[in-house]
Amino acid sequence: MVKVPRIRANRYSLMTLEWPRESEPLAHWLKAQREKAPLLMDEIAIVLKPAPEHQPEEIRSAVEALDRLDIGLMGLTGSSQHRVVAHDLGLAWLSSNHGWIESQLSHETVASQSLETALIMEGPIRSGVQIYAKDRDLIVIGQVSQGAEIMADGHVHVYGRCRGRVAAGVGGQVSAEIFCLTFEPELVSLAGTYCGSDQIPEELWSARVRVGLDETSQKLTFGLMG
Amino acid sequence: MATVVTVTSGKGGVGKTTSSAAIAAGLAQAGHRTVVIDFDVGLRNLDLIMGVERRVVFDFVSVISGEATLNQALIQDKRLENLSILAASQTKDKDALTEAGVGQILDELAELGFEYIVCDSPAGIERGATMALHFADHAVIVTNPEVSSVRDSDRILGILQSKSKRAKEGGKVHEHLLITRYDPVRVENGEMLSKEDVCDILAVKLIGVIPESKAVLRASNTGVPVILDKDSDAGLAYSDSVARFLGEDRPMQFVIPRKQGLLSRILGGGD
Ligand SMILES: Nc1ncnc2c1ncn2[C@@H]1O[C@H](COP(=O)(O)OP(=O)(O)OP(=O)(O)O)[C@@H](O)[C@H]1O
Ligand SMILES: [Mg+2]
Repeated sequence: MVKVPRIRANRYSLMTLEWPRESEPLAHWLKAQREKAPLLMDEIAIVLKPAPEHQPEEIRSAVEALDRLDIGLMGLTGSSQHRVVAHDLGLAWLSSNHGWIESQLSHETVASQSLETALIMEGPIRSGVQIYAKDRDLIVIGQVSQGAEIMADGHVHVYGRCRGRVAAGVGGQVSAEIFCLTFEPELVSLAGTYCGSDQIPEELWSARVRVGLDETSQKLTFGLMG
Repeated sequence: MATVVTVTSGKGGVGKTTSSAAIAAGLAQAGHRTVVIDFDVGLRNLDLIMGVERRVVFDFVSVISGEATLNQALIQDKRLENLSILAASQTKDKDALTEAGVGQILDELAELGFEYIVCDSPAGIERGATMALHFADHAVIVTNPEVSSVRDSDRILGILQSKSKRAKEGGKVHEHLLITRYDPVRVENGEMLSKEDVCDILAVKLIGVIPESKAVLRASNTGVPVILDKDSDAGLAYSDSVARFLGEDRPMQFVIPRKQGLLSRILGGGD
């Protein structure tokens, strides 16, 4: 059978890096983020959204800084005057209301994703061990040690003591949540919004906790589970 | 079939070599034919603690490279007929420890009738340490009651359960926790983690708590494994640990401060 190339519509998760004008230097901020959560920034596709007031030169040097940090920049988005800058820098332009790919292709053929069940891991997940459940949920039976990193594109469940770094919705899935039987993490992150152990309300420490993301405030929400 | 017991820790200087010598001697005393191997190529330590440093002619690496036979390199302990020692070389290169080479020696030791092969792992996660871990059936994780040592042990446990031969074949290495240099007074004062804290962090079965003891230094200076010093706290604690390793149930000793502890410390007595 002869195979022919074909164009299919697909949706990809891209993270948007919102960059306000009056913020600290981007390279500096990114370095700090990477130190806090090294893995969260690996293999992530990012779209940079400068503020309307940003000058082309500033955008150019920010793009170079991202490149030096090895962060995969897919293109620019934001107010339309930056479109030219994107073109000059050889980057894709993603108009804000439509994804770049979707704007070129019809919606009807969006491939339905096949369902994959959760990745189940037996704990303890030790310090230095990294686990990533791609395109699915992650369930850990047992403990997650301090210094371990567990991640999923879907939800993360820990049936045990959770002392490591936990990230759900790694590919930008804002509805992903984290569930822990004994909640003592170093860091939690949902779709890129994260908080360290020092920001976790004290009364939730060691409790049965569920973490979600409030999309409007872009803040993590913590709740006790019965 | 010989059982490979690897004594490991991640962090250096926590008492791996002291423990390897004690465990090997304890297993031999319990009637099991045992050999203890020094994997710390380039440093050599075990032969000193076992009191055989003057008898080392050939070593582990010279057997792997074919310069000597295993029988030439094995040193028979003079106190325990069931115990032999395979020393490390001070001069040779760590890269001499190949997986095939080490594996073949372990097979030959099993053929010679050894029941237990105790591997004294070097610190860190470099070649010597990963080789010692690779072939482990059992791992004794040596930890001091302080945060950095415990964290390194957790790390080593992670490597053990992903990189060891058993793990790669879908099995599991049996894990045992041995806490050494434990000082119940300092634990009570909050200067050291308690054994409960350590167990809670590592979630591994505890086989023993060895107290901080002057008997350890005394033993290594005289080249006698401390487990043979039946009058010492550390020696008794090691005996209990080996018995627990072999499946016996024994209460923990030396884990609460002695009544006269403070006074004897001020007067500098006791050990
Ligand atoms: N229970 C103890 N009480 C007092 N001192 C101890 C005890 N255990 C070990 N030591 C001392 O700690 C030091 C290190 O011990 P040892 O050589 O057994 O550690 P190691 O883990 O093998 O070190 P390395 O990582 O360098 O191989 C030695 O000086 C030893 O005498
Ligand atoms: Mg040593």
